Amino acid sequence: MPELPELNPVIHGKLRLALLSLLSGVEEAEFTWLRARTGSTDGNLGAQLLKLEEAGYVAVEKRFVQRKPQTLYRMTEAGRVALTEYVQALKQLLGAAIESA
Amino acid sequence: MTGNMDEMDLNERVSLIESMIAEGRRTTESWGWMFVLWGVAYYVAIAWSLWGHGAAAWPVTMIAASVLTGILAGRKTRSRPATTVGRAIGSVWMGVGISMFVVFMALGISGRLTDTGLYVAVAAAMLGTANLASSMILRWKVQLGCAVVWLATAVAACFVSGAQAMIVFVIAIFLCQIVFGFYGTAREAGQRKMRGAAHA
Repeated sequence: MPELPELNPVIHGKLRLALLSLLSGVEEAEFTWLRARTGSTDGNLGAQLLKLEEAGYVAVEKRFVQRKPQTLYRMTEAGRVALTEYVQALKQLLGAAIESA
Repeated sequence: MTGNMDEMDLNERVSLIESMIAEGRRTTESWGWMFVLWGVAYYVAIAWSLWGHGAAAWPVTMIAASVLTGILAGRKTRSRPATTVGRAIGSVWMGVGISMFVVFMALGISGRLTDTGLYVAVAAAMLGTANLASSMILRWKVQLGCAVVWLATAVAACFVSGAQAMIVFVIAIFLCQIVFGFYGTAREAGQRKMRGAAHA
């Protein structure tokens, strides 16, 4: 029987998984848009985005638009690879779960 | 860490990934107002030029409409995510808009913008091109219909008198800018309402 894959703990948290999935569908997104889509609080969202940034899965850019601060996040190539591997691992685990049922 | 994960938890995560990717890709652009604004701008320019100020009417109206579009679009898209599709469609319209401005400005300055039929044919063909490209990107039949109307207008303008070409142009503006713009606005409002209900 093949060994079951481990799920990446950085991505496995629900909010972090939601954030990476959201960012995979756009080029870049603002903090407020991510907050609205995930329904998260500012503090929790900021903390989870920082973890993703530290892992090298998202890149952050701060700028001013019409004199208002804007924080933009985009998924890095490493983040895209990590999410793809996570989905593949999930599929394998699901396949194993269905086989064992 | 995977040992104590059951099938339901795994399925939940797959659903979360699918729903978030769909949420990110869902069009969040609000563009219906832009078609209406430009439709009105065309009408203002036509009316102004018929009044007897042909040389200034189009450039002044188009520059004013461009500035207004820039200001309003900047406000509306400030917190929206940038998507590849949005950038592609924006590029098509920006490219066609700049091309139209440059060509008609040159024709106006050179004094060759005297054939109304030719002017309508070129303008309608360029607007048809933008609508066609946009409808192909979005795979949207309604906008494809607009492209067909614009291209039919371009062809018709080649065979009728200048006055008739202008009437056909005015009708095409009404259908493809005003009606289509209001349809787009209503559709966006419907989508927002549905999304709100789904999250409630």
